[in-house]
Parts: sequence; C-alpha cells; structure tokens
Amino acid sequence: MKPRPRSPRFRHTGTRASLAALILCVPIAPVAAQDGGAPAAGAPGGPGLAVVARKLLTAEFEGRTTVDNGVLLVRDGKIEAVGARGELTVPDGYEVLDLGGLWVAPGMIDLHCHVAGALSDLNDVVYLTNPGLRATPTITPGNPLMKTAVAGGVTSVLLIPGSGSNMGGHGILLRSGFGTFEENLLRDPGSLKLAQAGNPERRAPWFPGRAFMNYNTRGTFVRGLAYAAGFTAAEKNGTTAPAIDPQYEIFRHLADKRTQVSTHTQMYQVVMTTITMVRQELGLDVYIDHGTFDGYLAGELAEEADVPAILGPRQVYFRSTRTDGKIQGVAAGYEERGLRKIGFNTDSIGRRGIGQEELSLQAAMGVRYGYDNSDMGGVRGVTSVPALASGLAGRVGALTVGLEADLIVITGDPIDPRTSVEMVFQVGQKVYDAREGRRW
Amino acid sequence: MKRIFGSSILSSIAALAAATWLTTATVLAGDNPAPAPPPAAGAPGGPGLAVFAKKIVTGQYQGRAAVDNAVLLVKDGRIEAVAGCDEAAVPEDYEQLDLGPLWLSPGLIELHCHVACSFGRDHSETAYLANPGMRSSTLIVPEFIHLRNAVAGGVTTVLYIPGSATNMGGQGVLLRTGGKTYEEMLIRDPGSLKLAQAGNPERIGPWYSGRSFMNYNTRSVFRRGVNYAKRRKAAAEGKGEPVERDLMFDVFPHLLEGDTQVSTHTQIYQVVLMTLSMVRKEFGLPVYIDHGTFDGFVAAKLASDLDVPAILGPRQISRAYNFPGFSTIDHDGKLFGVAAEYQRRGHQKVGFNTDAVSFMGPGGPSQEELALQAAMGVRYGFRNTQAEAVQGVTIVPAMAAGLDDELGSLEVGKLADMIVTTGDPNDPRCCVEMVFQGGKKIYDTKTDMRRF
Repeated sequence: MKPRPRSPRFRHTGTRASLAALILCVPIAPVAAQDGGAPAAGAPGGPGLAVVARKLLTAEFEGRTTVDNGVLLVRDGKIEAVGARGELTVPDGYEVLDLGGLWVAPGMIDLHCHVAGALSDLNDVVYLTNPGLRATPTITPGNPLMKTAVAGGVTSVLLIPGSGSNMGGHGILLRSGFGTFEENLLRDPGSLKLAQAGNPERRAPWFPGRAFMNYNTRGTFVRGLAYAAGFTAAEKNGTTAPAIDPQYEIFRHLADKRTQVSTHTQMYQVVMTTITMVRQELGLDVYIDHGTFDGYLAGELAEEADVPAILGPRQVYFRSTRTDGKIQGVAAGYEERGLRKIGFNTDSIGRRGIGQEELSLQAAMGVRYGYDNSDMGGVRGVTSVPALASGLAGRVGALTVGLEADLIVITGDPIDPRTSVEMVFQVGQKVYDAREGRRW
Repeated sequence: MKRIFGSSILSSIAALAAATWLTTATVLAGDNPAPAPPPAAGAPGGPGLAVFAKKIVTGQYQGRAAVDNAVLLVKDGRIEAVAGCDEAAVPEDYEQLDLGPLWLSPGLIELHCHVACSFGRDHSETAYLANPGMRSSTLIVPEFIHLRNAVAGGVTTVLYIPGSATNMGGQGVLLRTGGKTYEEMLIRDPGSLKLAQAGNPERIGPWYSGRSFMNYNTRSVFRRGVNYAKRRKAAAEGKGEPVERDLMFDVFPHLLEGDTQVSTHTQIYQVVLMTLSMVRKEFGLPVYIDHGTFDGFVAAKLASDLDVPAILGPRQISRAYNFPGFSTIDHDGKLFGVAAEYQRRGHQKVGFNTDAVSFMGPGGPSQEELALQAAMGVRYGFRNTQAEAVQGVTIVPAMAAGLDDELGSLEVGKLADMIVTTGDPNDPRCCVEMVFQGGKKIYDTKTDMRRF
C-alpha cells in the first residue's frame, strides 16, 4: 500500500499562519498554493472547474434533489452553476473533470462529533452547567480520526463537549479537510451544548435527578439571557455596557440568533422539555441532537415549534412493552408524526466507539427502519437538514449556487454502504483522492 | 448428512403429538370441527408453487450468482427448479406467485446467535473452564420475540450457542427460526461445540487465567475428549473394552465422525492461530472461525490452506492500533475491513455473523441485523461483484456448519428457505417482504404486522 502523499495544505509557513489569523472571520479558507504553483481549478484564486457526473445529488431541502447527467461549475471555492449536461455550457478556460459513472453529493455534516479535538479535555465537569467552556482550545486538526472522516465523506462537524454535565460548553463548527484551525473554522460558537438527562446524573457526589437538573438548567438560561438583555438595553439606551462575564457570553450569541442550542436529548420527557423550555419558553433556536429512544413521541410538537431533530447513534427503539415487540425506527417515528426536518448524527467518540466516518450509515439505518427515502431523504438528513439546523444553510449542505463547494464523489448513493467515496472536495479544493491511498 | 436432518422417528413423534392434540381439541370443541386447512402450495403435502421474481440471487458457492427474470419451482418443501422465465416450463397445476419487481434469495444463516432463549445465567454457565457437556438445546424459547424479528430480517437458520464466559461453553444447537415448537425448530443437535479461547473467559474468578493456562486446559480437554471418542468407537466395533458413557465428553464422538463442528469464538491473531494449529491440525477436527474480528485476518492464508471457513462479526473493521498487545499490524490510523483482509489473502470461505445478544432493550447486536454485517463487510472493502456478501450469510455458513446439502442456496433438491426482498438483501435501504421456510410462508408483511 502506497503511503498517502502528504498534501501541501498540511504544511504552512509562519507567514501564512499569521495571514490566516488575520482573516479568521472570512468564510472562505485562505488560498492554499500548491508547492508554490498556481491554485488548482475550483480552488480560491484558481481557474474554474467543471465537474461532469452521472448524477448530482443536489440534496436541497425544498427543491430538486437530483440532476441526472449533470454538470457542476466551481469557481473560487464556490458553486457557480448546477445543471444538466445539455442545458449548461462550460465556459472557456474551465478545467473539466469527467467522473463517468460516478455521482456527486454535498459533503456530509455531523452535528454530534467528539473526535475533532482531544476527547480527554472535552468533558470538563466543573459545574452542572458550564456555558462558558469552549471546545475551541481542544482542536486537533487533521487527526487520524478526522482524516478517516473525510474519507467517509464527512466535510463539516460540530465538535461539542461531552454530556457529563447539563451544559458542557460551546460547540464549534469545523471543516474536516484541512490541517489548521484557521482553515477549518466555520463558526465559533457553533452551539451551546445542552444535555438534559441520561449522563449528567452520574456526577458525584450528589447524583442529581431530572427535576433538580431541570431547575438548575432553567436557572442558568434565565441568568444568561438576563445578561444578554443587559447588553441590548445598554446599546439601546446609550449607557455603559455591563462587564463581560465569560460564563454567559454565549447567551448574547443565542439571543441574537447567531448560534443555536444543540441538545443531547433522547427520551420523550427531555425532548418535550427541550421544545417547551428552550424553544417555547425562552424563544431560542434549538435542535434535537443525539435523538434516540422514544423521543419521537414529541414529533408533532417538534414540527409545530420548528425544532429539527438530528438522530443517532441508535436508530431503533426496541422496547416491547410500548411497541408490541416491533422494532420502531426513530426517524420513522418522527416522520410519522409530521416532522419535516429530520437529520442524522453519529456521536463519534473515538477509536473504541462510533467512528466519524459512519455518518452515512446512520442515515442508512434510519431508512432500513422505515424512514422514507423515496426523495433522497437519507442524503438530505446528513446534508441540508443539519445545515439548516445549525444555521449553515447559506454556506454548505447542498449543491446550490453560491454555497461552498464541499463535494463528495462516490460510486452511488452515499447512504448505501456498498458504495465508496472516491474523492472529496472542500471549498473547491481536493482534500481526498482514494487513488492516492484509501483510508479503508 | 441425511440422518442429521430431523430423524424420521422424531418427525413421527411430532406428527403423533400434533394428531393427539388435534383429537383432544376436537373433543373439547364439540361437534363439527373445522377440518385442518390443506397444506399451502409449496409446503410439504401441498400442490406445487411457482415463484416468479425480477431476480433470484442463488447464493450458489462459486457458481452463477443470480438469474434475472427467473422462476423457482417448489414442491413438498423443496426446490425443484431455478431458471430464467423463458427456459422453464411451469407445470399446469402449480400455484403461481408473481413477485413483480421483487428479488428472491436464500434464507440467511447465522452461526453466532444467543437469543433463541431467555438470556441470563442459564446461557453462560461457568461451572468449569471447559464445559463440553452442557447443551443449549435445554433452553429454547420458540417464537421468542428476537426470533420473530430475526425472521422479519430474513434470518431463517441460527446456531444458538452458549456465551464465551468459559473456554468451552457447551454444545450449540442448529435451529429454524420460524418453528412454533422445538421439534419444528430443530435442525441438528449438537449444532457445534462452542470454543472460546480468549477475550472473555479470563474473567472467571477467583484466578483469572491467562491465555497460556487456558490453552493448556483446553488442549487437555480436547485430548481427553478425542481419546474418549476413539475408545467408544473401538468398543462399538468390538475392538476394545466397553467404555462407560461420559456426558461431559458426549459431543466428541460427533466431532470425530464429522457430523458436528467446533465453532470457535476466535478473534485475535494469536487465538485464530491456535484454532487452526490446535483444533484443525493437532486434533484433526472440523472447525470454523466464528465471531472473527480484530487482526485475526493475519492468519487468513493458513486458514485458507487448511480449509477453515471464517465467519466474521460483529465488528467488521479493525482499528487494531488501539489495542496494545492485540495488534500485529502497524498503520497510520487506517481502517482495515476484516472480511476484505481475509479475502485479500486468498481466503474463499468468508461469512458473517452477528453475535446477537440484544435482550429487551438496546444493547448488543440484534438477530435481524445479520444482513448488515455483510453490508459492513462490503463497505470496508469486501469484494461483492458476484454477490459474495449474500453468499457470506447463506452458503458459506451452511458449508461451515455442514448444512450445505440441504440449505444455504437456491438449488434443486434443497429445502425452500427463501426470502423475498425489495432488492439486494445486503442493502439496508431494502426490506424483507416475505419469508418461506421449507416451502411454507412464515412471514408476509401484507398480512402480518411489519416488524420494522
């Protein structure tokens, strides 16, 4: 087996790093000049790229889901045009990448990732609620688990703290494909991680129950939002802004809808509380994350309150007392109750647990256990739905003009485990090519 | 091989029991009882059945993988013909079942099942480190919820075996999942001798043995058992002293005669190696790798040379770098597909198993997930150009367990254990619509509750 050549973008000079730091907030990653040469076609600063494929899985949430015999134009890291081969002319000077029988889909997005950073640091259980802790200081770009994630077609992740406490801290939205924090950063804070039950009970010495945890969590939310309101009021009245409290800074982002509450919430009771407390009572953007068990019983309420459900890593509910021995698919359960925004996550936890590259398999299991896939719902559940839930829909998650060119090239339907990922592009740059060495 | 399949005496007893029950029921129900319905087409005693399908995946080992637009004839529970629609003549009096776009495949065969009984301490008794005398056939719960889900997932045959808390958990039993009684379920007892060399038996207190002692102890039990079998055989042929029957070693005559096998929970390279060198080479017993995972594939060439089948799962990938002391390979965080690595080293008999342990709740793998194990094998590199993944859950386990004269593929003369699916059984986007066992329909999503 030939070792995979180290990509030039995993090397960088000090100058480039400082440059990158300067433009940290610019959504497009800095140009990665390849060994001093010109940027590749499709990459920022390079010539245009025309990708020709048997099928484009556009995966738009409301819109077309596929284009057969399609052409996709990429320029400066963004998608410039998507159409059928007959309707779209390739401009002069564009490099053509003819994929023959292969398919192209948007890069996949996992909203429950624990492997983009050092897991050992990720579950700091200082208090029962720790809204001030950040996942950012733990990032390990290009670690082996994330390289494997890329090979599985996962291009964006929400790295979040564990659920050892009710609020583990800030999540961070990252790209998977590059070797530095600056290149990989999508948004920080990516979310406030909330976990209402199932794990925080373990916290010694008093082992809290759900009623106390809910009381305490609600208290933190109320204090946090009062803190944010203090800034809004000061701005409105032209008075001095309150002193910054790092513990509550994230609530200003939440109050302005610049980030969301990602809630590890699985059983019916806590899913219901997520919707009634976080969404209805406090008015925050929130989504169900790590949704499993019988949470689907709140599916109708979730649709009414427009709370997306990102489900996994267990796609079946199997308790014969409630289902007459039948195996109830969790995604199917939400769908039967009318919820439209259904997605999938892994809860990747490292080498012994679920791997980050298994995201598409979660969608596959959703479909196996009854989720409707007649209009590529499985693919949307790992692309456009998580993009919508996390507020990234204007940047990634579909093959739509103007979005970042995060693409996977695959031998067929990405959620069919018999297919394999052949290439991955991120922001128009090729970050994986199986011909140069497969990860499996 | 015939004698292994439901002895005629046993069938007669079953028939007699059923008849007695019917008579009793008649008496209790009073006059004019409804006559028993005649056997359905395809079932034993019924008229013939012709099944038309878009594709028949034959499961045939290294033969034709599939027949498109095909028909399969079943009579008296057995397959009479498999052919393209335009090649075969369908007898006039055969009932016709047109499946339209659906596919027909052999029922799936699982060689590592723990859910045919109430899971508990009955199942993994740790009397000694080696317990070759204990039987799992004493624990069966017909129509158990997991077996019903197994049927709905296309699994028609299971080897129900004791857990691996000891080096020899006892005797497995081969069962039909669709039977309503033990007699209907029984395919063969003993189905196997369950051997587990490492990974779990270390837990037995108070001394927590290591691999060297366990291997010594296991080897000596094999030695005594094989000697017992030889002496019994000699005595039966009038060549030696009579040998008193010893229940602890009763499975060994079956092993020596080749009418059962050693099913070995064996995963790590070192114990796969011991399985091959000790059980197969030193004692000459029929054996297969069961629950094969981790880096066992490093021994694949040897396994192939000795014709020891490898049944793999429930973990189809090796991230062996994370298991210090386990690993014999060095790699840069790359994933190894276990099945792919066996195949890449030339092993031809690669199959899949679940290790179904799920009991009334989420936990371990469940029995209906067998097809997914094969799917994961393919995802992580197992070549599937000739439907090898379907063969890995049908004919390969049938060959490993010595059932291939009767089961494991849709071939003339075999029992009609068949599943009807919306596509490739290994594709999780497809679902099972009907299941037949011995020509009899035992599950139909149109009339029965869809179980998932």
